[in-house]
Amino acid sequence: MSAIELRGVDKQYPPREPGLAPQELLRGVDLEVRRGEFVAVEGQSGSGKSTLLHILGGLDREFAGEARVLGCDLRRVTDAELAALRHTQIGFVFQSFNLLPALSALENVLLPDFFGDGLPDAERRARDALERVGLADKAQARPALLSGGERQRVAIARALVARPPLLLADEPTGNLDARTGEGVIDLFRQLHREGMTLLIVTHEARVSHAATRVLVLREGCLHTEGAEAVETE
Amino acid sequence: MRIRKLIRLARGNLVRELGALAVSAGGVALGTGCLVFFLALGAGVGSVVNQVFPISTREVEVVVPQLAIGNLLGEQKIDEATVEKLRKVRGVAAAYPKMQLRVPAVTRYNGLFFGRDVRIGLEVVATGLRPELVGEDARMPFEDRGEGQPIPVVVNRRMLELYNKVFAPQRNLPHITESMLIGFQLPVELGRSYVVSRSLPNPQEASMQVVGFSERATLAGVSMPLAAIERINRQFGADAETYSSVLVRAQSADDVPDVAAGVRKLGLEIDDTERRYAVQIGAAVGLVTLALSLLAALITGLAAVNTMQAFYASVRERTREIGVLRAVGATRSDVAAVVLVEAAATGLAGGLLGIVLARGAAALLDRLASKGLPDFPFKPDSFFDFHAGHMAIGLGIALLAALLGAFLPARAAARLEPAKALTES
Repeated sequence: MSAIELRGVDKQYPPREPGLAPQELLRGVDLEVRRGEFVAVEGQSGSGKSTLLHILGGLDREFAGEARVLGCDLRRVTDAELAALRHTQIGFVFQSFNLLPALSALENVLLPDFFGDGLPDAERRARDALERVGLADKAQARPALLSGGERQRVAIARALVARPPLLLADEPTGNLDARTGEGVIDLFRQLHREGMTLLIVTHEARVSHAATRVLVLREGCLHTEGAEAVETE
Repeated sequence: MRIRKLIRLARGNLVRELGALAVSAGGVALGTGCLVFFLALGAGVGSVVNQVFPISTREVEVVVPQLAIGNLLGEQKIDEATVEKLRKVRGVAAAYPKMQLRVPAVTRYNGLFFGRDVRIGLEVVATGLRPELVGEDARMPFEDRGEGQPIPVVVNRRMLELYNKVFAPQRNLPHITESMLIGFQLPVELGRSYVVSRSLPNPQEASMQVVGFSERATLAGVSMPLAAIERINRQFGADAETYSSVLVRAQSADDVPDVAAGVRKLGLEIDDTERRYAVQIGAAVGLVTLALSLLAALITGLAAVNTMQAFYASVRERTREIGVLRAVGATRSDVAAVVLVEAAATGLAGGLLGIVLARGAAALLDRLASKGLPDFPFKPDSFFDFHAGHMAIGLGIALLAALLGAFLPARAAARLEPAKALTES
């Protein structure tokens, strides 16, 4: 059963200057990710990895083609339905953590509970999530007082608090030292073992090694690692 | 999103942006403070006007028209039959005839007056009232006890105020209170005038006794029981059958137009001189209050513009955070609500501060007025009358200004595309 299905997805940005051609970041991308898979998408900086992730997460709806995530047609759903999908079905982890500086670590983890119908037993879940990433003792700390690795673990806890079936991560180890990054990768492996679907955009080999499948985004198309053909699994 | 969670989320941002939002709240406070201050000032001055010109919404004073043709021919008059007709006019609840003392009278006082040696002589102007009109304002019986007995009189409170604030200081007379004067007796000579030609043969000595203070009493002179006035007028051969005026009480304020129409049908008119003064002065006070309130509204409007700029800056600064909110499940309206709750908190804080400032400024001005202004008649203890309604208006305007100011920034925040917001540097 597919968690993600893309068919002929195109994404263009307007030309940087009048008279120039539009920038084509994604060109006819086809992708299928089964539930429970751990997929890494590699690519050079500016290759469109983050754009692909934003489309998959329903954060960017300005694309051509078909996209279904967890059975939801991203081009047909309303804004509110998309918000609900992000709320409980998709967890996001960003390279730059994106924690809200005015909130404590616990409140940052609880952030999804502020929206929609909230989350059942939210505070206990949030504390469990913090414990899982090894930050139970930092629940009341503001992000400014946490190290880079700790911030990223808080961000992961926030992505997990709603217990979503799909986790999308954008360069999750990009701002971390090797040791801290390894801890995050171990956490992803563990989540994968528990049955979560993971799609991680990265340019780091150590992350790709943890994945069950590695794709490369080159010139707007997805390729299987070491192959030239467009991924059409 | 539940409001408690919304407030919790907004609180963090408010604390973080305290500086910028304090400026916005300060602007709102200034506008709201001015508004509440001017409204309270208008209400306070309005109360003074009501004190000087007390008007009833249910009562009218009916008189014979000065230029009536019937009056010129000597036919138009108010007698008992006319009063009965007035009582039957639609909407009339009661009619109380009044009669002026139509014979000259003087009072001479020569002796101690509350510790001061006083020699004073005055022409007495008196109006007769029905005792039930004075009611409980009379603290001693307000009834004619017949010849040889003191004539009870009630005095208008405004006259006492004028005496204490103008007459007494000029003549170095003692300041007196209502309770000091109750029971006080003055000699009166009926049928005598300081204008020799007006004096009547066989004047009669009597006395007046102050029995109370009432707004019903005539402002120019004293009021006596109607029966006493009729007796004295009759005794000196003056007209004791026709009344000078009739106080007509309508069943309700809404009935007054019907009553006025009925009065006109009887060939009489309503003396609304005092009411006109009150209305004109009240309108002037209202107009000035309105103008000053508009000025305050303008200040509040500028505060709203300032709030808008502050929130635009805040939204720009928090673009990436807004992207994060959308990523974890916030809808566009959730994002707008977060910004609007922050604005509401800013507005309420500004409104509360404005009310405190208004009250402080009013207290300061009252203090300055009590020390710096002479003690003129009807000088109030406070020129301000703060109602709960003023506070509610102030808070409401502050809230509205902040919400209006933050409306466009909130909309802009809600319209941010999450993917673009997350890639903002």
